[in-house]
Amino acid sequence: MKFRFLLFFISLCAQGAELRLWPEYLRTGPDGDVVAADRAAPPNLLKSIRVARAGYASLQVAVRLRSPGNYTFTVQSPLPTEVFREWYHRLEKDGAWYPDALVPVKSPHSARLPDVDNRVENQQAQAYWIDVWVPAATRPGEYRLTFRLESAEGNAEAVLPIRVIAPVIPDEDVVAIDHNSYGSSWIGDLYSKERARAGADFYRSDAFFHLIHAYHRIFYEHRGVFHQLGYGHGGKVGPEFAPALEGSGRERHITGWDLYDRHYGPLFDGTAFRDTRRGARPIPFAYLPINPEWPASYLWWGEPGYEAEFGNVVKEMERHFREKGWTHTRLELFFNHKKRYMGFPWDGDEVRFPKDDYYFKEYGRMFRNAVPKDSPVQFVFRADSSWTMEQQSKELAGIVNMWICSDGILSWYPGVAREMKRRGDIVWFYSGPPSVTEVSAKITEFPFQAWLWGVDGFVHWLTVSAGEDPWFHFDGGGTALVYSGERFGIEGPIPSIRLKVQRNAVQDLALLDSLRTRRPIEELRAGAARSFNGSKPEDWWNPRPAIADRPPIEWTNGEIRAATAGTRNMLRKTGPGAWESVHAYIMQMAEGLQ
Amino acid sequence: MRYALWLALAAALAAEDRFTQQLEETARVASVMVDGDVCRRIVTARAMEYMLRTDPKDRFLAGDNYDVNADAFDSVKKTLIRLSRLVPFPADANLWMPIPGLPGKVRIVIRNANELSQFWPWGALYQNMEPEMKTVLETGRRVTVARKLGWVSALAPVRDSLGDIVGLVEVAGRRNPDARENVK
Repeated sequence: MKFRFLLFFISLCAQGAELRLWPEYLRTGPDGDVVAADRAAPPNLLKSIRVARAGYASLQVAVRLRSPGNYTFTVQSPLPTEVFREWYHRLEKDGAWYPDALVPVKSPHSARLPDVDNRVENQQAQAYWIDVWVPAATRPGEYRLTFRLESAEGNAEAVLPIRVIAPVIPDEDVVAIDHNSYGSSWIGDLYSKERARAGADFYRSDAFFHLIHAYHRIFYEHRGVFHQLGYGHGGKVGPEFAPALEGSGRERHITGWDLYDRHYGPLFDGTAFRDTRRGARPIPFAYLPINPEWPASYLWWGEPGYEAEFGNVVKEMERHFREKGWTHTRLELFFNHKKRYMGFPWDGDEVRFPKDDYYFKEYGRMFRNAVPKDSPVQFVFRADSSWTMEQQSKELAGIVNMWICSDGILSWYPGVAREMKRRGDIVWFYSGPPSVTEVSAKITEFPFQAWLWGVDGFVHWLTVSAGEDPWFHFDGGGTALVYSGERFGIEGPIPSIRLKVQRNAVQDLALLDSLRTRRPIEELRAGAARSFNGSKPEDWWNPRPAIADRPPIEWTNGEIRAATAGTRNMLRKTGPGAWESVHAYIMQMAEGLQ
Repeated sequence: MRYALWLALAAALAAEDRFTQQLEETARVASVMVDGDVCRRIVTARAMEYMLRTDPKDRFLAGDNYDVNADAFDSVKKTLIRLSRLVPFPADANLWMPIPGLPGKVRIVIRNANELSQFWPWGALYQNMEPEMKTVLETGRRVTVARKLGWVSALAPVRDSLGDIVGLVEVAGRRNPDARENVK
């Protein structure tokens, strides 16, 4: 009798331990069920994956136990594979738990449910994010990943076939995904242990610069770009964002490059990326520290001394970059200030009053005068444009050549985007990361829209600010796509699910765009849009509204919102599996065109 | 040993005192140098009208319509920059003005490179008037404020050609300046 009871008990336990394979777009919570935001899609478990070479295949594996206990999770893969434990963030607004931060772990991974650190009451499940890297030289064919769970409740095993197709994903992206940030004081805040170790000299320490480079690396590895703006709205420049200056008027000059070169040298020559999967290469873009108060003092604005100070320093900068061979990065002359912050009498960012264009022309003139015509250094003049985009695009043609456009306003100016592109300007649009409570595929809309529009990229305006306590009092991550790894003993950032989903979409787009040599781009756009949400490419633009024919100074944000209702309403219905459908379309096209 | 410690403490106190004195002296000069008539012309009438408007559908209405007359702005800003250079440490001279018809409120009109102020909450177009500011605007007396640890603001009145007080200058400094503060 005792023996039969024991057998029955063991059998129950074996049924309790469970492994479930989920596609990347279905996130699960600590109860093992799909999170509310992703429930619009059928909860279909993953059966197989198809992936092109030189790319990632991703999935999620949920470990589930019926009762508290220890377990070991093992991944066996014939391809390079990385395993991440998904952290469940407790949302401040409603106490719901959503996975997002990805903590790197090594397989086999031994852990316990509930996880003591994550502190989820009655946690029954733990999800893992699996990244499988398929090198370009991989032989096409089927590979099998095996997942094993061992626990006191029993063991479980699951096998996932991965079909590697012959096409190779191009290394170059067709859309730049930019991840923006401001200054560097946040690094000291996020890495307090490292800061304490380094003491008062933290911001001059190797550890500090390693951290900055680690942020560049994580975005680079996820097919993205990282920007740090190095000055404030009043013109104060952070010491590591600009060379040191001395003197006034015609005596103004650079006295030292130490911090600047330690910051940017490895980024401009690419050595900061030498140990990455994508290989060493210079960053494609970086802000210059130039603003109305640097390098020339605003005290001299409108007087000969302003141009003397400006010209002296810009000339020295150009010479330094040239001598160092830092000629692959586009260095952006960019003004971020707004007059509402009372530092300067004109808007550098999002000009609303056409009279302010005068300053762009002046800086364009001074810059041209300072830089040798045959300079190999790639300077660009960047402007973030919204209200007066249509006028600015004409008024500042030939002066500004990198445009970061309001996505809403650009959506009714397809002709403006085309004209900017026709003359060779760089065109991005800006937005912000979607919260974790939005559908998982939401983050794929931006790269997709950029590609459908035929522009060069987009900017997440802030991507490193996860709030004071992202672990238990989370604001949703609307300003963060990476997290500090310090809590987990990692001196550097860790990725998020949203960043991974975005990366996989961008690599898909690179492959899809490469097919334009064999299929008309219009056909590819139509096929992808249809797959995403049953739309047509033209549905991603809004009609020109009546306000566009009134002076922008009269527009209100309410009117702009009304004018962009078409695309907003369409995208409100984006399903969790929207990108999965596009991925399937791309795989089919890529394989079919072999 | 004890004697040396006392000497060090006395030196530190004297240095702190010099720090405050230098800001106060700059504020005194500001009252002479800043032209109140020009200050009145900085913010446009349209911007002043929008500043007080609210729209639940457009929370940026006031900010998006904020505008200044560049000539007046530059004239006063340049004076403020010169004033801040009277001290040998990072300091800012900010211009504050009351809002006609809205007693108890005050607005910052010009800020400077270090973005130092003990009073301005980031992004505010106007805000409640601090009691010390009220004193300066009503009495014309200079007032020194050390509300935040390590911060000193010397407030001084700005007068126009009629002798009316139209605003005040806050000359602000931090004893331990942070090179990365406000770089964002």
